[in-house]
Formats: sequence, C-alpha cells, structure tokens
Amino acid sequence: MTDLLRRLMRTPQGAIGLILLAVLAAACLFGPWLAPHDPEKMDFLGRFRPLGAQNWFGADQFGRDVLSRLLVGARSTLPMALAATLLGTVAGAVVGTASAYLGGRWDEAIMRTIDAVMAVPGLLLALLLVSTLGNGAGNAMIAIAVTFAPGMARVTRAVALTVRGQDYVKSATVRGERASWIIFREMLPNVMAPVVIEATIRVSFAVMLFATLSFLGLGAQPPASEWGLMVAEARQYVHQAPWILIAPSLAIAMTAIAFNLLGDGLRDAMNPRDER
Amino acid sequence: MSASWLLRRLALILYTVFIVSVLVFGITQALPADAAVTLLGENATAEALNAIRERLGLGDPIWWQYLRWVGHAATGDFGLSMRTGQPVGPEMLTALGRSLLLAVAAILVMLVIAVPLGMVAAVRQGKLADMATGLISYLGVSFPEFVTATLLAMLLADTLQWLPATGYVSPLEDFGGAVRHLALPVLTASLILVAHVARMVRSETLDVLHSDYIRAARLKGLPERTVLVRHALRNALLPVVTIVALDVGYLLGGIIVIEEIFAIPGIGRQLMVAVTARDLPSIQAGALIMSATYAVANTLADVAYAVLDKRIRYD
Amino acid sequence: MTAVLSLRDYTLDYLTGSRPLRVLQDISLDIAPGEVLGLVGESGSGKSTLAWAIMRHLPKNARELSGSIRLGDTDLRSLPPRELTRIRGRRIGMVFQDPSTALNPTLTVGRQVTETLVTNRGLTRRAAWDLALELLGHVELRNPEALMRRYPHEISGGEKQRILIATAFGCRPELIVFDEPTTALDVITGARILDLFARLRAETGVAALYISHDLALVSRVADRVAVMKKGRLVEEAPAASIFARPAHEETRKLVAAVPRPENRLVHDRPGERVLLAAEAVSVRYARPRLFRPPPPPATHAVGFDIKAGEILGIVGESGSGKSSIARALTGLADFSGGIRFDGRPIASARDMDGAYRRAVQIVFQHPDGSLNPRQTVGEILSRPLKLFGTGQANLSAEIGRLLEQVRLPAAYATRWPHQLSGGEKQRVAIARAFAAKPSLVICDEITAPLDVSVQASIIELLLSLRAETGAAYLFITHDINLIRQIAHRIAVMRRGELVDLLPIDAVDADHVHPYTRDLMAASPTPVG
Repeated sequence: MTDLLRRLMRTPQGAIGLILLAVLAAACLFGPWLAPHDPEKMDFLGRFRPLGAQNWFGADQFGRDVLSRLLVGARSTLPMALAATLLGTVAGAVVGTASAYLGGRWDEAIMRTIDAVMAVPGLLLALLLVSTLGNGAGNAMIAIAVTFAPGMARVTRAVALTVRGQDYVKSATVRGERASWIIFREMLPNVMAPVVIEATIRVSFAVMLFATLSFLGLGAQPPASEWGLMVAEARQYVHQAPWILIAPSLAIAMTAIAFNLLGDGLRDAMNPRDER
Repeated sequence: MSASWLLRRLALILYTVFIVSVLVFGITQALPADAAVTLLGENATAEALNAIRERLGLGDPIWWQYLRWVGHAATGDFGLSMRTGQPVGPEMLTALGRSLLLAVAAILVMLVIAVPLGMVAAVRQGKLADMATGLISYLGVSFPEFVTATLLAMLLADTLQWLPATGYVSPLEDFGGAVRHLALPVLTASLILVAHVARMVRSETLDVLHSDYIRAARLKGLPERTVLVRHALRNALLPVVTIVALDVGYLLGGIIVIEEIFAIPGIGRQLMVAVTARDLPSIQAGALIMSATYAVANTLADVAYAVLDKRIRYD
Repeated sequence: MTAVLSLRDYTLDYLTGSRPLRVLQDISLDIAPGEVLGLVGESGSGKSTLAWAIMRHLPKNARELSGSIRLGDTDLRSLPPRELTRIRGRRIGMVFQDPSTALNPTLTVGRQVTETLVTNRGLTRRAAWDLALELLGHVELRNPEALMRRYPHEISGGEKQRILIATAFGCRPELIVFDEPTTALDVITGARILDLFARLRAETGVAALYISHDLALVSRVADRVAVMKKGRLVEEAPAASIFARPAHEETRKLVAAVPRPENRLVHDRPGERVLLAAEAVSVRYARPRLFRPPPPPATHAVGFDIKAGEILGIVGESGSGKSSIARALTGLADFSGGIRFDGRPIASARDMDGAYRRAVQIVFQHPDGSLNPRQTVGEILSRPLKLFGTGQANLSAEIGRLLEQVRLPAAYATRWPHQLSGGEKQRVAIARAFAAKPSLVICDEITAPLDVSVQASIIELLLSLRAETGAAYLFITHDINLIRQIAHRIAVMRRGELVDLLPIDAVDADHVHPYTRDLMAASPTPVG
C-alpha cells in the first residue's frame, strides 16, 4: 500500500490529484473547525460583500461567508458521491463477475439487458429514480448508485473475461483448484486494479451528477450548503456578486479534476510492468 | 455486413426499447402519486376519483396496464397530459425536434473543434499543443453542464451582452435569431464532449501513428502529407464514430440541464416540468422517446462503422 | 567497385531513464552490389536498431554518437527529412516481419502497391496499375486483377508478403532490407517465400541486408553472415564456412543451439505400457447459434496414444488444431470421443479427478501469461505442492528444491514474475508442472517465444527432468528440426485432422503423407 502511494506520488497526475484530495479530505473532516465563520450566520449589513479580509471568498445574499459554506458543504457533497460510487461499483462488480462466471446464454442475456438499461441516459435515470424515491440527498445517492451499476458491471465483466482467459487461470483450473480459490485468489487481485481505476474516475462523475441533481432541486435541499445547490441559489445574484456563483462552481470542478487525475495516476502506478 | 447481422441489430433495438419501457413504466408506477388525485386535485370527491380511476383503468392488474400503455405508445398515443390535458405524444415529438436541433448542432460544433484538436495533439505529441489539449480535456470533463452553462451565461450574456441568456426561436421563422439563441446552449453542450472526444481522438491517432503500416508507408518513401492524410487520418477517424455515438447518451442527459437553464422548450425541459408536476404520461413518454432516440443513434453508428470499416466482417 | 551500403564505426545510444544505453558500438560493414549480407543475433543484440538506423527511422530517444552510413555516394546521416523521403523506397526498400500489419487495413492492396510505384518510379496511375499487375503475376500470385481490388484482411499472410516483396523489388532499389520476413509465416509458406527471394535476387541482382535470429536460415540465403551480440559485430564470415568454422564464442553458441535432426538428444526407448490414449477426440469451440453458421470443429476425431516415458511430438501449422488437443487433454475445452488414462476411461472434463490432474500437467506457450503477476514465485509453486502432497512443514524447502531442479537460485522464491526474464519465467512454469510429480507433461509451444540459446537450455532442462522423473512429454511445436531431435514419434496435424503418426526414423520414408513430406522439406537441415 505504501509502495503504491510512493509510485502514485511519482506520477505528476497522481501527485497533483493526491494533494487536491488531501485538501478536500481536510475540508470534509475538519470543515466546521476550519471555517472562519458560522456558515449559517446571516449578516444583512454584509450582503454581497466582495472578496476581502473579512470574507476571503466574499459573502452571499444573506451575508453568509462563502468560504465557510464551501468548507462545511464539502461534507454534503463528497461523502455522498463516494458512497454512491462505492455502492454502484460493488453492485456492478457482483453482476459483472457473475455474468462472466456464468458465461454462455446467461452472460449474453445479462449483458444485452445491461446494454438496454444503459440506453437510458444517466441523468434521466437518476432523475426518474429520485422523482420516485422523493427529493433528498440520500435518495439522490441511491439513484446515482443505481445509475452507475450497469456501467461498472460491463467494465468488471470485460476485465474478468480477459483475466479468465489468462494462462495462469487455466493453469489453476488444470491442477484442479476449487472455484472459490480461482475466483478470489487468482482472478480477483487481477480484476481489482482496473475496476478501482474506473471507479476512481467515476467518483468525479458522481460529484457532478450529485451537484446537478441538487442544482435541479432534487438532491440536497436548502438551507444545506451543498455546492450544486449553492450554484442554483447564486444564479439570480450574478449581477451583484459573481463570486458566490464562481466559488462553488470551482469547488465542484476541482473535486472532479482531483478524482480524474487520481484515476489516471493510479492507472500508471498500478501497472506492474512500469516498475523498472 | 450481412442481412442476418442487420436483423440481429434490429432485434437488439427492439429488446432495448422493451427493457427501457419496462424500466420507465416500472419506475413511474412506483411514483408515490395517485394519478386520480393529481388530475382532480386534493379536494375531489370520492366518487369523482373512483370514476376517473375506472376510466384510466388504474384498478387493472399492473401487467395489463403496462401492455395497454405499450400498445398505445407503439401507435404514438401516450395518453393525455395530466397538467395540460393535451395529448402527450405530439407535444413530446415537437419538443424532441427542438432538442435534436440542439443536439445535432452541438455534435457538429464538437466535431469541428475536437477532431483537429485531438489530431494536432497526437501529431505533436509531448509538445505545447499536446499539453494544451490535455489541459483543456481535464478542465472540460470536470465542469458539469450546469456550471459551464451558468458561467458562460454570466460571461457572454450578462457581462459582455453578446448573446441572449435564455429563450428559443425557431430557425424556420428567424434563422439569425435562432443561431443567436442556440449559441450558448450549443457551446455548453459541446464543451464536455469536446474534452472527451479530443482525448479519444488523440489516443486513437497515436495508436494509428505508431502502427506498423504507418511506419511501412513512411519507409516506402511516401511523402509525409500522403502518410498523414491518406493512411493515418481515415483510420484514426473510424473509431470516432463509435465514441461520438456513445457520447450521445451523455449529451441527452446534459440537454435536460441545458434546456432547463436556457429555457428551451425541448424534450429535456418538458421532462423536468413533468417530473416537477408528477405528470405521469409525460414522464413516461419523454423518458421512452429519449432512450429510444439514443438506442437508434447507437445502432446507426454501428451500421455506419460497419460500412466504413472494411476490416470488420459481420456475419 | 564501391559498396552499395557502407557503415563506418557507427555508435548509437538510447536515452532511457537515468543513463544512456549503448545499443550499437563501432559497427562497420559493407554490402557489395548484388551481395546478400545476413545479420544474425538474439533479441536485444541491436540488429533491428541497425536496420532502423539504415532506414533513418530511429526512435526519438536514439542518439547517434559517431560514425557514418553511406548508400553508394550518399551520406545518409546528413540528409534532411525531405531528401530521405526520396531515398526510401526508391533507393532502399524494406520488407517487414509481419505482412499482416505492414499493409493499411482500410485501403485496397492495389491502391497501396500503385501509390508506392507512382511515388518511387514516377509513373502515372495507369502505368503503375499495369506494372503492379505484372509484378504480382511475376511472384506467382494467381489472378492479380482480383487480388488488387481486395483489402488486406481478405488475403492470406503469404500472399501479403509476396505482394510486399514484389513491390519492394518493383521499385528497383539498390538495396533491400529484409527484417525477418518469414518469422510470422507458417513453415511451408515461409519456405516458398525464401525460394521467391532467391529467384528475384538472382534476376535483379539487388543487394540485400537479411536480418534474422535464425542462423541456419541466414546461412542458406546469404553470401556472407555477420553475427551481432550486445550491439557489437562479433564475427563476419562467408555463409558457407560460418557453420563449419565459427570463430567467435557467440557464433559457436548460436551454431550449437541450432537444432539438428541428425543430432539426437534422446537415445532411450519408451516403455510398452500405454499411459494415455486419445480415441477419436473432437474439439468444438462455439455453439451453433441463431443466424450463424456453426463453426468448424477445431479438431476432428484425433486418435493417438502416449507410452510411459515417451516423447510424442505434435507438429503442424498454426490453426491445425495442435493446441486444441492440449486443451482437450487438460479439460480446458469440451470434447467428444474419449480419453483412456492408465486404462481408466475419461469421457469429459468432469471425469478428470485429482489423480488425473496430478498426473497430467501442462506448460503454456507464453511465460508472461502463465504466471499470476500478483503472486510471488514461492506462492505460485506452493499451490501444486499443497494440492498434491508434501506436508506444510517443509514447504519452503520443497520450493527451494523445485527451483534448484529447474536451475534457478532458491532465493527466487521471493521474486515477482515481472522481475524474471522470459526464460526464467518458463523455468518457473516448468517447476510448477513438476511440483505435482506428473507422469505426463504437455508442452504447448513452450520454446516458440524464446531465443535459440535459451530454447536449447530449456530443452536440456526438460530432458534432464525426464531422466530424473521418467515423465512422458506431449511436445507441441512447429519447429520440425527441434522435435526431430527429441521425439520418439511424431504426429502431424493439418486442418484439425491427424494426417500421420510416425516413429521418428520413418519421417523421411516414402510412404508418408504428402503434407508430411512438404513439412519436412520446408525445414531443411543447416548447411555445413
């Protein structure tokens, strides 16, 4: 693990991604303590106060400190996106592995169905699910997880099929290893790496999707300082105070970039051939 | 490409539409909304509610309701909107037309920008142009549509006042106005795609440039221009067809947000309105039409690829 | 007479990571008009880099330190890119190793041949088309008109290589560089390509640089042979004498490693007891499906037996079904027909119990794929040991003993597969097979990806392991000369069928199948 971290830091993408993630993790863990002001505290004299010593990133339409809201808001965006990706990845990996393992007609049927489900655009599927489950952050997370599952199933199956065709797996079959050994000890470690990389990149999509749902009023609800919601609320004040729009926008983009970079870095670092 | 291959592709579309219809119907049926109450309002009498339930067949078994819905949908009849009382089908198809205009324009703009960008980056690998493209790609895929849309609108509509911020004008009535009104939505929709496609074009082009046959073409003494244009360009562009087709799904999702932000009465906005109003027939129709469009686009791309690429024999 | 090609003290580095890697060191060589110089060396010897240097197509990290490359009176190193384009194809032609990747898959063959002729001979399209037809006819391709309209994937590898050779000669260059032009082809096809090369060369008198890893082959086609090792030219001699009197140690090593059928390495006779009998084994891969014609069987009713301690060779070209037999015998492919092992009938993979799995082991072709990249050598070897016997207590001792048995240091147990060379990986795979104390080991093309000297040492290892354990081998290969050194009997396969099953001393007899005769004739024994 430390070895992987060291190799990750050696790739430029991995290093930048990790640094950005460290900042985000700090915001998630210690956001309320790091925040210079109370994120909910309104200050009518300080409405739309521009960037400065008092409010580093300015103040919003109620005079609330934008930086404080961002720092606290990290908690309502990032953990949700991570949980959604994790849930979707696990569900997808189980289906994909099962499909690859069953093979033949079952595999064909499962994969055709997954292809069909993927014909529903991701945001639309999430939208439908949230409207059924009801608005709210938790439901948005479940909807995103469901939306991600088919894609992850496809990736996992493709990787699992490639690995299953490798001679070391055949060799294990030929010497009469149990199915559980073959799946968990021979195949899984080799399937993991590409799936983890794919999942990492997908976290950035989850962040964007979650923010989008909140923006549309279906995810996190006011007065939460979720970043997508902050953008939605700031739109009507663009003329007075563009920073209350720009700050959360950049926060979303930075998070997405961080996970994209980390995914690319992992791709390089996890390839065992690149060690020499 | 053989007849049986086309036949199988066709069967696959039908299966896709079937699964999508089950999915859409299933999810919307689970909506915690009573269609009768939605139609008549909270204060309706029990008799009136029962009468309308009877008329809509809400008491029938779920599979029967599904079959009836699919049967009607197949003829273009998606029922009446609970919000407006108008037939949903024609309304959605008109909206789809506007959305397709936006989508096609976005894809064209994207191709014009992304393909040369990706190719230049590949040919000048490791140089400044390549790094700039890489940076654009990273930034592009990291900005969700609603952020891009609001930031672009802020800059080009509010601050610089170059373009109108919202609204839709039919190109048949006022072409110039339509272009001005579509500019921001199209730009927004194409940005993420540009980032993604440019990256894919770059890696496809690099693969081709490193292939044996390109090396062979160079060592046969062909001029560099011929090598790049006749041998590399064509082969690198082929997979782009598939990439773009896969991105159509993403584009359609993005269109929901973009139409909402720029107030374009396309299918995405209709869907959002329907979702907010819990207008069941409209949600069902919109979701089904959108997904079917994507499935058809994908199949068309496959067929185009099969026609263009002589290597693949479909049997 | 001046040399067509002349290199003087040419030295080249690749910049890799921390410090430069010397790839070519003080190379000096000449090729006279009409002469064929053969260039031999193992992988990594720098022979391909030398070809790229001559073609002026070096990777970006290459640094030329000194020396000159002259083509006739032209100094190639000083030419700007535009001038080079006029040299390539026109004055130096090149024929590549793999004809299937050397042609653009989306352009017709005719278009690719004519564009080359238009560029290099200054012909009009019409004239180039007519010339192309004539050239293709001249290299014994039937129906050139139809061939010209096809795409590369629609014709065979041999046809492609003929087309590429015809084009190279058709541009009338002074020199043609051949980079292993037969390696990617089947034995018989490769032999015909060599005949074609000899004929065209005699007709045109073009000088050639012929690069190959196969000393025996080069000594037949070349006038002179140059041997490379680690970037240096270690020996240059007339082809006729290099086998008889190799001067340098590297050449002697290469000569010794060349398999010679008359030099039998196995002298004993196998036992009489039948160990394994295959009875009418047919392997089918895909199931017939809706709208699709059923795929042909990969093998059709193949029957043979292997006696205890016997080495049975299975030879045939790629796609002949040899590997499918291995897959059937190990239960990796479904088969019909039956197998009899030690008298016990086995009808399907389900009948293969622990005893059978232990007794029948397989070593795969690609050492890279056959070792799990996320397990150490010790872990890899521990599995069969745990499954097939020896107690937990002396596991690490057993692993050490196994590694020693395959001539690897016991310390290798802690290494990862990617830290080993190809030959070392193959030794680990062999050790894994012998950990089960098998009575039959199936070797599926295990020497194909290895250099000849490594190949020779692997064969030596296999034979000594056989002497120790008495295991029988089912040795699948396309290398006829190699198998004639070691096999007791040879099975010849073609298009899924067994056409011949002969004792080793009968392969040259008159009554063999015509295909067997072709196969033997295509692998002539080295001269000298």
